[in-house]
Amino acid sequence: MSNKQSLQVIAAAVALAMASGAALAAKVPAGVKLAAKQELIRGNGSEPESLDPMVVEGVPANLITHDLFEGLTATDNDGTLQPGVAESWKQTAPTTWVFHLRKNAKWSDGSNVTADDFVYGIRRLVDPKLAAPYAGTFGIFFENGPDIVAGKKPASAIGVKALDKYTLEVKTAFPVSYLPELMSNAQLGPAPKAVIDKYGKDWVKPGKMVSNGPFVLKDWQVNSKVVVEKNPQYWDAKNVQLTKVTFLPIEDQNAEVKLYQSGQMDMTYQLPPGVFQQFKTTMPKDLKNNTILGLRYYSLNNRDPLMKDIRVRKALSMVVDRDLLASKITADGQQPAYSVMVKGVHGAQPSTYDWAKWPMAKRVDEAKKLLAEAGVKPGTTVKLSYNTSDYHKKMAIFMASEWKSKLGLNTSMDNTEFKVFLKKRHDGDYQIARNGWLADYNDATTFLALVQCGNTQNDNFNCNKKAEELIKQGNESTDPAKRTQLLTQATKVVMDDYPMIPVLQYTLPRLVKPYVGGYSLKNTADRYRSKYFYIAQH
Amino acid sequence: MWSYTLRRVLVTIPTVWAVITVCYLLLHMTPGGPFDGERKVSAEVLANLQAKYHLDLPLWKQYLYYLNSLLHGDLGASFRYADWSVNDLVANALPVSAAIGGSAIVISLFIGVLLGTIAALRQNSPIDYLVMLVGSMGSAFPSFIIGPVLVLVFAVTLRWLPSGGWNDFALSYMVLPVALLTFINVATIGRVMRGSLIEVMNSNFIRTARAKGLPMRVIVLRHALKPALMPVVTLLGPLAISSITSAVVTESIFSLPGLGKLIVNGASNRDYTLVLGLVVLVTIITVVFNLLVDLAYAMLDPKIRY
Repeated sequence: MSNKQSLQVIAAAVALAMASGAALAAKVPAGVKLAAKQELIRGNGSEPESLDPMVVEGVPANLITHDLFEGLTATDNDGTLQPGVAESWKQTAPTTWVFHLRKNAKWSDGSNVTADDFVYGIRRLVDPKLAAPYAGTFGIFFENGPDIVAGKKPASAIGVKALDKYTLEVKTAFPVSYLPELMSNAQLGPAPKAVIDKYGKDWVKPGKMVSNGPFVLKDWQVNSKVVVEKNPQYWDAKNVQLTKVTFLPIEDQNAEVKLYQSGQMDMTYQLPPGVFQQFKTTMPKDLKNNTILGLRYYSLNNRDPLMKDIRVRKALSMVVDRDLLASKITADGQQPAYSVMVKGVHGAQPSTYDWAKWPMAKRVDEAKKLLAEAGVKPGTTVKLSYNTSDYHKKMAIFMASEWKSKLGLNTSMDNTEFKVFLKKRHDGDYQIARNGWLADYNDATTFLALVQCGNTQNDNFNCNKKAEELIKQGNESTDPAKRTQLLTQATKVVMDDYPMIPVLQYTLPRLVKPYVGGYSLKNTADRYRSKYFYIAQH
Repeated sequence: MWSYTLRRVLVTIPTVWAVITVCYLLLHMTPGGPFDGERKVSAEVLANLQAKYHLDLPLWKQYLYYLNSLLHGDLGASFRYADWSVNDLVANALPVSAAIGGSAIVISLFIGVLLGTIAALRQNSPIDYLVMLVGSMGSAFPSFIIGPVLVLVFAVTLRWLPSGGWNDFALSYMVLPVALLTFINVATIGRVMRGSLIEVMNSNFIRTARAKGLPMRVIVLRHALKPALMPVVTLLGPLAISSITSAVVTESIFSLPGLGKLIVNGASNRDYTLVLGLVVLVTIITVVFNLLVDLAYAMLDPKIRY
């Protein structure tokens, strides 16, 4: 297929997706009576590090900024891409996209949201002066982005241009077929220049913040609560049911459950470890457990003298019984994983190993053979590093027990405080280390970053040139099917090198009151916008 | 007295400086930096972040930069809470901790002195045993056990009170945390008061008062209580400091936005400026409370002259 044909296919697919996503806000099923009080209290995990959409990094902050701000695109509570400020978009060349903005999108002060607001927002994100943590992560997609982040070019050189008041052109550094998905991130959204110029850093405070999302900031008390209220200026305000949302930054998950049980919270952020089965029995209607785009894995330091040997890495991975780990050890609904690519991610299929279906005895025999060939004798000690947490400790003990009982290897447990552990892992000062990754956006590349040569996120320090080439070809392809095929192949090639031990795909168990409508179990990004929630009469 | 007070205040300056300097060095020596996360930031972004917070300067320059800001009353910007200065964070958290800790101190002082007095005057009676039992329980059971029990009974089961959180000094949100801190403090104050009053009641001047035929009420209220309160007053300083600044467990159990939570988050996030700001605050509070206790001591005991 020629490039032109590919673009036509993409354009048609986008149009189809938009047509199917016509229903925009909270869908209240027929027969459901709404409660008179449409107020929701959500557990939010921890205090947001910021409410500046360009500065936010963690999930808790992102959850709030996605209620306060809206990008060119957005996702609904099923995780499906929806139009945001942009009504439509098209890829006009492999590295050029044009977004057409709706004319009725407004800031909370009543002024129109224009293409210039997006140009300003994206320039602000990559500007070294702001020092936004996600500047590197999202900056790489834009023309000149990496050079701007590195301070080699001015922020004005970024490949984003307002063609007119309501038309935005985005030029990418390479073909980015999932750009509409990326643009749903608040970091790539608009920013109110006049307000930022007026108040400086304080522009995010209640009474000063101007936002363009379904909600506006009403109150923010650090470590206590963030309260947002319905934004009457929002273009889809008539379909937003909730009038007020309170986010509680409760870090202690046990305390959060108590707040839920005492009726002070409608939706927890996450259940504490070890109570999933209990709530499955006692509160089945409240318990929700989504499979999300996240991977729990163990990094193998591919620079370590022992771990350099692929036979050792393969043997260590083969004998780990993921089914047992998922069903009996973590026991919170997570799925076994055998690939860096998780189920549900767009742009590549998860690979698996042939031996995953073998009986464990056969796997153990093969692993022993591999270790013998590598000259690793029973009694050899491997070092497993993890950070202080009961959950990680439990998993680490299981891993050590698998290696001891099946291969005769001893494990020295290296348990350190979180920041100390992270430094060691990032510096490669470990042999085997706990690791985990949650997708930044729904595309294979977010997971491939974990195993790519020289990638900042590659704590395994592995490098497979053949996989690199396939990834490069895939990223340059404008044919989605071809791209998926190439990235799937790359995944298989790199995983056959055993750079890491994938073990589980994350789920996020939480409690949600049965009267909270709009919660979907299909949302693999675990990004729930309050716009889609409603409170049923109860 | 004034010259003593002034001397004490002046002595605090090198104390505070020494504490800040040691803490500053320790923080920077601790492995792991403020920007280390599961997701490693790229070298370029890290450089930008370090430049923003002056972490790209040599340590001694950073230190002087910090001291200079401190002298101007600026505790710096928080690394973790990007939109807030440390001054803002402390100003928001201190009233919460002070309200909870202060209320607990006042209530526990009243109850503790009362129970201790009753127990001392009814030594080896059932009421004495009861007070001692409560006192032993308060000392024996840690707050991370009593707190969740209070939540389970009064919030989850009976639903009389909120299980946690904070709502602009609303009384209902303060009851359980204050009750927890009070319970722990009462145990200590009550036991100290009982022991002290028993000792005083056995002293010669009380025997003389009894021989004179003074009624017990007068002996206790006018003669015994004042000297018996001395050890309690000594205890008040550390109790007040720990109630206000170190209520880490209580604040965690009840999800309170106080100083305890800030200091834990600050340390685990390597938020250098936040930790240092709180160290400065805690040091000043400690010095002030110790000073107040010494002054109260002098007022209660005329033998003490400065």
